[in-house]
Amino acid sequence: MTAPVVQADALALEYRLARQRTGSAKEFAIRLLRRQVTYERLRALDGVSFRVDPGEVLGVVGHNGAGKSTLLKIVARVLPPTGGRIVVRGTVAPMIELGAGFNAELTGRENVVLYGTLLGRAPADMRRRAAAIAEWAGLVDFLDVPVRSYSTGMLARLGFAVATDVRPDLLIVDEVLSVGDQEFQARSSARIAEMMAAGAAVVLVSHDLDTVGTLAHRVLWLDHGRAKQLGPAAAVLAAYRGAA
Amino acid sequence: MASGLPVYDSAARRPPLLTEFSNLREHRGLLRLLVVRDLTVRYKRSALGIWWTMLNPLLTTAVMFAVFSQVFRFELPEGEPFVLYLLSGVVVAGFFAQGVIAAGSSIVNSAGILTKVYVPPEVFALAAATAAGANFAINLVPLLVIQLVIGWGIPWTVVLVPLPALLLLALVTGVGLLVAAGAVYFYDVLDLTGVLLTLLGYLTPTFYPVTIVPDRFRPFIEANPLYGFLLAFRSLVYLGRVPPWYVWVSMGVTAAAALLVGAWAFSRSWRRLVVLL
Repeated sequence: MTAPVVQADALALEYRLARQRTGSAKEFAIRLLRRQVTYERLRALDGVSFRVDPGEVLGVVGHNGAGKSTLLKIVARVLPPTGGRIVVRGTVAPMIELGAGFNAELTGRENVVLYGTLLGRAPADMRRRAAAIAEWAGLVDFLDVPVRSYSTGMLARLGFAVATDVRPDLLIVDEVLSVGDQEFQARSSARIAEMMAAGAAVVLVSHDLDTVGTLAHRVLWLDHGRAKQLGPAAAVLAAYRGAA
Repeated sequence: MASGLPVYDSAARRPPLLTEFSNLREHRGLLRLLVVRDLTVRYKRSALGIWWTMLNPLLTTAVMFAVFSQVFRFELPEGEPFVLYLLSGVVVAGFFAQGVIAAGSSIVNSAGILTKVYVPPEVFALAAATAAGANFAINLVPLLVIQLVIGWGIPWTVVLVPLPALLLLALVTGVGLLVAAGAVYFYDVLDLTGVLLTLLGYLTPTFYPVTIVPDRFRPFIEANPLYGFLLAFRSLVYLGRVPPWYVWVSMGVTAAAALLVGAWAFSRSWRRLVVLL
């Protein structure tokens, strides 16, 4: 038996927020002096456990605010959990709002190198791979143009090409399967399938239940930060659809 | 890790500070790219490119020179030309002020990345401070050129300038990390920092000699962390003297304290900061 790629035990994320959140230090200081500051404890996740094995796709569904994005951020190591424990084994390729790392003034090539390095790869590797990445994204002619002049679709394609130019052990996908035109969508789905075939585990968040149904083996249903159901995709999705 | 795979375990407790510094070592490739990005973006945005970096302190110096050499006249303690005194002050104070603001805003500005991809956030603050340091190095060129043009010359001690510059980089990074943490909580922290930096600027003898300050106010100037750095920089860059040991000690202690406190406070509060980003 192989070790799971993701092992999450009783994950919790709780944070304290000043109820009168002003955003201004001056106002906060005045309120503090008048003793008008009260805090609210928010629980974004509460005791969520699951595991994802190599080659397995876990879909995550739930209403807005159920904790889906929080969960993805914890898996992506961005948010440290305040309770419970998560262990992720292997390289992670997060595809959450692709292109967040792009800088408008830099050229496509410079951005490919920077973005790839942000994702944890060596700058020298990225310089070598830049041409191949641009070719896959269909952007060879634009590689040395500032991305300021790219269209939204071009940016998303380049982002996807960089993020998937690795053999990750874990792919984190948040509603990005709708990138680009039909032809590109087909190619990007094929690429994700290829990675899954190579043994990558996937955590997938989507509002499109049909997509989740086709791709996911198991589904985690989050409700107000708690795991309402976790099990085979068809059964959980049927229950989720029934409740909605 | 027998397999060589990276493993992330949220329960693993790693020593504070040490972790931050090993993170920076691990991400030095990214650090270099971020510094280059900061510099190229700045040059690409202005028509004058890299010349603007050098022109900026020169213009400030020109304005202050016009005001202070004609309206107010100071006797400088070392008898050096006023233009050298002024430009060296402007360059050092500029490194500190720009670096603190840049490092202080780096975390908020990188929120888009930091909330999506795991990167140690300190890397962004250090990169911003280092970019300010690179600008400082570029600004040495016009200063040295002026030294030559007016026939003052360049002493050998100039080769030691990187030492106080590196210590100043540590100070800027430490203070910048504190500001960066505050800026996540409150948007006006950066504005307040700007005001404090202006105040500190006047407390720094950039355009006036310390000797004109009445004795009872002198401690305020000497308590200013920048004062020692400015003394050391002027000694090395044009006076041709190696500063006495106590100036080095004061710079070293200031820099180390700021860096340790800044890094410690920042990493301690990061858990709470990242949910607010």
